[in-house]
Amino acid sequence: MNKGSGLRVYAIVYLVFLYAPIILLPLFAFNDSRVIAFPLTGFTTGWFAAMWEDEQLFRALRNSLIISGSTAIFATTLGIFAARASTRYSFPGKSGLLGLIMLPLVLPEMIMAMSLLVVLLWIGIPLSIWTIILGHILICTPFAVAILSSAFQSLDKSLEEAAYDLGENAVSTFRLIILPLVMPGIVSSLLICFTISLDEFIIAYFLGGSDTPLSAYIYGQFRFPARVPAMLALGTILVGVSILLLSIAEYFRRRGLARTGAKDTGGFL
Amino acid sequence: MNPRPDMIEFQDVHKYYGDYHALRGITATIKAGEFFSLLGPSGCGKTTLLRTIAGFEGISSGAVMIDGKNMAGVPANVRPTNMVFQSYAIFPHLTVEQNVGFGLRKDPMSKDQKARAVAEALEMVGLKGYGARAAHALSGGQRQRVALARALILKPKVLLLDEPLSALDKKMREQMQVELIRLQRQVGITFILVTHDQEEALVMSDRIAVMFEGEIAQLADPETLYRRPNSKKVADFIGTMNFLPARIVSEAGGMVEVEAQGFGAMTLTTEQCAAAGADKAGAMVGFRPETLTILFDGQTATDRETMGTVAEVVYYGDMTYYDVKLDGTEVPMRLSMRNVFGRPVLDLGTRTRIAWSPGALVLFR
Repeated sequence: MNKGSGLRVYAIVYLVFLYAPIILLPLFAFNDSRVIAFPLTGFTTGWFAAMWEDEQLFRALRNSLIISGSTAIFATTLGIFAARASTRYSFPGKSGLLGLIMLPLVLPEMIMAMSLLVVLLWIGIPLSIWTIILGHILICTPFAVAILSSAFQSLDKSLEEAAYDLGENAVSTFRLIILPLVMPGIVSSLLICFTISLDEFIIAYFLGGSDTPLSAYIYGQFRFPARVPAMLALGTILVGVSILLLSIAEYFRRRGLARTGAKDTGGFL
Repeated sequence: MNPRPDMIEFQDVHKYYGDYHALRGITATIKAGEFFSLLGPSGCGKTTLLRTIAGFEGISSGAVMIDGKNMAGVPANVRPTNMVFQSYAIFPHLTVEQNVGFGLRKDPMSKDQKARAVAEALEMVGLKGYGARAAHALSGGQRQRVALARALILKPKVLLLDEPLSALDKKMREQMQVELIRLQRQVGITFILVTHDQEEALVMSDRIAVMFEGEIAQLADPETLYRRPNSKKVADFIGTMNFLPARIVSEAGGMVEVEAQGFGAMTLTTEQCAAAGADKAGAMVGFRPETLTILFDGQTATDRETMGTVAEVVYYGDMTYYDVKLDGTEVPMRLSMRNVFGRPVLDLGTRTRIAWSPGALVLFR
């Protein structure tokens, strides 16, 4: 066995270890048994039906959609301002400020969740889906800034000047030139923030009041062995939706690069 | 030529970026319908000066007038100027037609009229039938033309061109130079070109302002700039100029007695003298490579004659460049000779007679 094939085996083992659990998810979601164990006993779609009749689940889903939707919109809006400022203007303390904006990317979520909880309780703000949204905006904004900065960066400054030179004002230039050209980045940012917020657990668990979002709800259901297969069915759907959203996001990011004729400097996928 | 009215007037224009003094008292006028070039090395302020006309840069003091009106406080989007950008700045998400018609968006003319204006503009720049194409799929030369059409369709009083040809290859650049001259004659609009390419400026311009370090060093027509540069710096920047140390013997009545290395004593007119004080290190006489002639067998000099040794030969096909060490000098001088059928190219080390004339010299002091 030569050196190259040894590394290849390592890579394959690594990928199996990474993805096998995710493949098990749909496997057991369609398995006709309450016990999560091999051998598989038979095929059923009954767990999906059980999931469908769960009213609490739909309430959790509704909460999650509100949280993720709001987070995506707020984080992306903030991201647009930050990206625009970081690529177009220079001001004292700019790099430090951007560093602080990007910090939540590497800060342990646990720390953020705890400190936010302490502050919210101290101020006396009741926990609700809005406090979760607040936390999620904090962790999603860095992603939005990263994606949008690359979109704004690939924008030639003279395009704006040209529009201005041809009689447009700052507002119409933004609407006619800048917005269409960074739109793929905006769509991509919305989708990625949505996905991150949808999957997020720690902040959702810490800062959620009586309105649990999907992630916290799933965690809670795992206490009841009978409910587990239905949750696996739900998980299967979530994996599918996540992959779909991220693919769409990447598609828009690449299309944006192609449209402005910019070089690909690497994205998230 | 009948006198033209002034189109642009710079009145002691200064521009600071923090402590950096980018424009140091620019005073100049550009005439209506003129093809004017701002020429200089990078960082000399030529692009900054152009952008003060467009309104993209404010000025720290002084005044920029366009067609008699002070432009202070007039934003770029209402100035009677349009710009062709170095990067062309073609809107990549629009078609060629939409790009060219972009400036007509708020124009009250009808849709049909706009379409006709766009078609005319495209035809003028040689892009007839390209209207429906996506802008990002165009070649460099085509983008250049779209940018021109987009600016000219608004019939500006002044067209500003910021190094428009620098991104094109040599052949394409030469072709576009000729086309720009033709276009300028056709539309009669004042063109102001920024370039670092002295050859481009000489080919295209009615007048050229040579800029160094935020100041205009010389403003003149191409021939004057080439034949009578007013400083060693300008002479060095435009074309090739040879320099030889010289000594001013006496100066009286518009005549200057000069003793130059290799050439000996001669009398020059004051017109041949660059502005006084331009070079303190000592006087120099300068001459262009083509003003000295190598005398082949049997030829005689019409004016004066000296001897030299060929130190380097560079053959260009139509021309040969010789570096010749004139007798009594230390550094070889560059001479250019047009190659004539049947005449051999001289070998290295050849002793040769050289014809020269005091009239071709410029005195720098």
